[in-house]
Amino acid sequence: MARILYGVWGGEVTDNRDKRFFEVEELKELDLMDEFNPGNPVKAFLGAKGFLVFDGGTSILDALYQYMATAADESCGKCTPCRVGTRLLKNRLDDLGHGVSDSGIIDEVLELGEHIQSTSLCGLGQTATVPLIEVIRHFRDEIEKEIGTFAEKGRQAYTSYVTAPCIEQCPARVDIPRYIEYVKDGKFNRSIAVLLQKYPMAATCGRVCVRFCEAACRRSRVDQPVGIKVLKRFVADRERYVTDSWFTPDLIDEKKSDDLKVAVIGTGPAGISAAYHLLLKGYPVDVFESLNEPGGMAGVGIPEYRLPRDEILNKEVSIIESLGGTIHYNQKMGEDFTLADLHDRGYKAIFIGVGAHLGKKMKIAGEDTSLEGYVSGVKFLLYVNQHLINEDAEFPIPLGRKMVVIGGGNVAMDCARSALRMGVKEVHVAYRRAEEQMPADVEEVEAAKKEGIEFHFLTQPVRLLSENGRVTGIEFVEMELGKKDPSGRRSVDPVKGSEFIVETDQVVVAIGQAVDPSFLSEEDGVELNQWKLIQTDSNLATTKKGVFAGGDCVLGPATLIQAMAQGEKAARSIDEYLTFGKTRFDAGRRMSEIVQSIRKHTDDDVVQPVKSQYRVVVEELEPEKRKEIFEEVEKPISVEEAYREAERCLRCYRIYSVITDH
Amino acid sequence: MKAIINGKEVEFRENDTILQTARRYDMFIPTLCELEEIDHTPGTCRVCLVEIIRAGDSERQIVTSCNTPLEEGMRVFTRSRKVREQQRLQVELLLADHDQDCASCVRHGNCELQDAAQFVGLRESRYHYPEFYRQRTWDDSSPSIIRNMSRCIRCGRCIAICRDVQTTDILFYDDKGLNAEIGVRDSSCLDNSDCVTCGQCTLVCPVGALAEHDDTEEVIDYLYDPDIFTVVQFAPATRVVLGEEFNMKPGTNVQGEMITAFRKLGADIVLDTNFAADVVIMEEGTELLHRIRNGEPLPLLTSCSPGWVNFVERNYPEMLPNVSSTKSPQQCFGAIAKTYLAEKMNIPAEKMRVIAIMPCTAKKEESKRPEFTVDGRPEVDVVLTTREFASLLKREGVWLPDMEKGEFDNPWMGEFTGAAEIFGSTGGVMEAAVRTVYHIVTGKELPAIELKQVRGLEGIREAELELGDEIGTVRVAVANGLKYARELIERVKRGEKQYHFIEIMACPGGCLGGGGQPKHKHNYHMYLEARQKAIYEIDKNCTRRQSHKNVLVKKMYDDYFGEPYTSERAHTLLHTSYTDKKRVIRHTIKEIWDELSVGR
Repeated sequence: MARILYGVWGGEVTDNRDKRFFEVEELKELDLMDEFNPGNPVKAFLGAKGFLVFDGGTSILDALYQYMATAADESCGKCTPCRVGTRLLKNRLDDLGHGVSDSGIIDEVLELGEHIQSTSLCGLGQTATVPLIEVIRHFRDEIEKEIGTFAEKGRQAYTSYVTAPCIEQCPARVDIPRYIEYVKDGKFNRSIAVLLQKYPMAATCGRVCVRFCEAACRRSRVDQPVGIKVLKRFVADRERYVTDSWFTPDLIDEKKSDDLKVAVIGTGPAGISAAYHLLLKGYPVDVFESLNEPGGMAGVGIPEYRLPRDEILNKEVSIIESLGGTIHYNQKMGEDFTLADLHDRGYKAIFIGVGAHLGKKMKIAGEDTSLEGYVSGVKFLLYVNQHLINEDAEFPIPLGRKMVVIGGGNVAMDCARSALRMGVKEVHVAYRRAEEQMPADVEEVEAAKKEGIEFHFLTQPVRLLSENGRVTGIEFVEMELGKKDPSGRRSVDPVKGSEFIVETDQVVVAIGQAVDPSFLSEEDGVELNQWKLIQTDSNLATTKKGVFAGGDCVLGPATLIQAMAQGEKAARSIDEYLTFGKTRFDAGRRMSEIVQSIRKHTDDDVVQPVKSQYRVVVEELEPEKRKEIFEEVEKPISVEEAYREAERCLRCYRIYSVITDH
Repeated sequence: MKAIINGKEVEFRENDTILQTARRYDMFIPTLCELEEIDHTPGTCRVCLVEIIRAGDSERQIVTSCNTPLEEGMRVFTRSRKVREQQRLQVELLLADHDQDCASCVRHGNCELQDAAQFVGLRESRYHYPEFYRQRTWDDSSPSIIRNMSRCIRCGRCIAICRDVQTTDILFYDDKGLNAEIGVRDSSCLDNSDCVTCGQCTLVCPVGALAEHDDTEEVIDYLYDPDIFTVVQFAPATRVVLGEEFNMKPGTNVQGEMITAFRKLGADIVLDTNFAADVVIMEEGTELLHRIRNGEPLPLLTSCSPGWVNFVERNYPEMLPNVSSTKSPQQCFGAIAKTYLAEKMNIPAEKMRVIAIMPCTAKKEESKRPEFTVDGRPEVDVVLTTREFASLLKREGVWLPDMEKGEFDNPWMGEFTGAAEIFGSTGGVMEAAVRTVYHIVTGKELPAIELKQVRGLEGIREAELELGDEIGTVRVAVANGLKYARELIERVKRGEKQYHFIEIMACPGGCLGGGGQPKHKHNYHMYLEARQKAIYEIDKNCTRRQSHKNVLVKKMYDDYFGEPYTSERAHTLLHTSYTDKKRVIRHTIKEIWDELSVGR
């Protein structure tokens, strides 16, 4: 609960300097300012919409100087006002701090600041001088009294953080404007390198990411969001030799000693990402996979037509081996080894990324998972996947003529579209809520419709019908939309008397997955929480010392990018655990938390008119052709299209900084 | 849709920018980085500021007119005091990290930044910090082009040309902040890069950041050295363009004035590259027939354009067997001058210096190729671009339009045909070759001397020609600009079309649009048509229009070379070979991460 001494944010001026400080209202929304890290309060906060001073001992001149130094360093240097202006301002503020106080210097600083704000090309320059302008306009005396104090006072503790709305929404906090800028500049290898700083599976992510970033893209206020994902796929495909020859064990600077080895359980996105970052930090890493092929849910849960396995996924996974890691296949935790075994084998830290593979049940009358014609979504996808690896083997379940998929998420879409490709003639999807409430990607739903899949919305199964151990049909009830719940989502209620029966010989239940807890035993000491997920702290440490976890087994069924982000985070925690015995303060993460906590303060509109340029249209294989084969549906975009798409990025960079006590 | 600019109602279509519309209504807004001709509006200089009030809004905003769209009901003010003040401040900031040593700059007096400063009414420049630009790259590694990044204003025009017009794509924005400059892909300097030295980038640079390598000092040394015999050659495309440097109308033929000017400068022998162009036709035409008759690799690709030769060596080494072994006219000239001419005129070759005036920056690099030497001496000693030649004339106090029209008088090499002159234009080599090949095969002259299908300025043009029973139909194609060269080569490689003979010139328009031609502000290739017209006019007015009719060329073959292409002497002096120069650059991720951490 912070008290503002003085400041301006979003044009709103606060001046409590002549009040008694304890009487100033405490603002709950600023409570993260109380403590940057334990025992270290935020004294001032500077950002794209102004500045706030919480502590009377703050030198605002020094804060502005350091902020402007960040801006000058971050300026890309293309447009004049930002490139030259930020540097001039930095120098002028330094002059002031060293006692140069020619008349007019503060006016000149204000003029430059306003000029940079009004004429810069991108979001960085357009916002970098806002704190400075607001201080001079409203609290000029605070600067004047600091003139000539730099030598005596020295620099204040300062932390800066450069971000953008897309970056903040990305679980992995990928520097999106930067990799897009590199595409624009034709520096494709640097573009992919930005991605590879975060995770090895760039081409995979470029195909299947759910794109939190695009939902946050400010370009959508002009026309449509930037095709961030498609650009990612573009650079990853274009620089595909990266996976072959860029990674060698010699790129690791500092090898850790052999006995500091780490075990990673699972080769899904979380495990691969954790292994990747651990290997880059120099640890010897062994990865254990229960199946005979890598990828986890990305491998067995995402069909070939969205993510080609050999060419894309397996190649990206092989980076782990290129870096010197080893993957042990057909090693299932709980069956082939236990945590204690790993400990005995000398692993000093363990990362669990086993995913959530147990299909949830509908909990309706007549439901029996052993019925012929009943299969969970994840299992069905696994069968399809195994079938594609070995086409000679018999498909483990009989594929009927007519299939009903229950659910409205991406797994349901994957099941329905894969079933078509496996030769099922008629595929239906039943979802209990309305179409706009479907959690699946809109593009996936559209693609499924084009392929001829029939959708039934507001349709809830109530009874499973079977004869002689075989599914024969499902009884549904129609639903109607009710009131909005507190989260804004409208409830659905059954319509009385609307029950009807659909005959089918195959039902695929894709309404969610849970963690299969059988791999853990009590002795392991790894506890589950109330949602039956692995209990972790904010650093992804489990209740067992030295054991960390991430991905779906911690989050519940989530996304590739969230899993990869957790893998990276866990690798950092493991590194710190093995180096210092505990995890340490992460200033970047803290800054992100602060920025997100004041999101309503940081959101802003596009105020200048911008030429509309429509988003690149990704070509697809013809529905009639593709629905019978597993070939990748989305085609690559051309270089020209990539340049054009990259041009659309508005580069909404913003600098946020804090002055702290120490 | 309607909006108001400076109180005047204007009509526009959706997405039209303020600048486009203002220009349509003849209202001037100063610009710098923008280049209308190639639709280049990077929005980096931020000079073209205007004030706007959007419909339904009361606040004024400053925006750049080049990339801000007009909106229904928007009011625009291009001359408000605030606009003028901010435009001025912008140019002041531009100058702050710009090397302001204007007097020594190659663009002095012809500089778009100087113009911008004048257009915004700058009377005082408060900011100039050499420490802001001192660390920037100064690259004179290439014999053709110099990069002086302390003068770069980051308009990105060079990048656009290199990427979109030439598809060579070797330039990009590099580093960041005050260190931001134009970098060279996968190299620290031009010389070790995939640069083909075409110099198209130098034509669009608004300032003195990209320029030709200046070799005028060396020429002056030779001209004033009494022990040296200077032999001057000038290329076909220079005579119809040089006048532009002296305020003459584009397309004025100044051949006669050039001859007189050279003599005034003290050149010992004034000759024409065109003589060698006629020789090239004899060689290349014969080579074509030889290849057709002997089933050797086709299509035959021309080799006159050194930018193209660099391009094919770096990008399509698999096509090298198709490239004509005939040297370019410039190099044939040098080889002939230092052997045949030296012998005939009894001049010791080691005392002879061949000076070439070329429309081309790549010709500088070509003359430095190690394979182009006779007896260990360069065939051509020094190459000046059209621009440098103009600057040389001005340095020597020669005002070209004042010169009388002179004539060639050398009894050994002082003649050329119309076929040679059209070498300067895209399509010209093809047309010249066809005139002679037809004659060699059929013994007759082409009924229609002008091959209209290959004339013009389109990227790719093609034609078919009947050559009688023995050879049959010959299919030819012409490409100008490397983007189209690439497209045509890709077509050939895909086997889409079979050609016998392909002419490729690296620059749009051929040598007429060469990277060494005069630069004009805010004008990339707007004079190409006028220049082309002039060149075809010269051809038309020539009494002899086919290379095989060049009397002095015939005499030279009789006296010295023997048969074209097949004689040993022709082969040694007039033919060359090429090298696979494709670079495969492999980085490790570590190297790239290191780059990311240092700069951009």
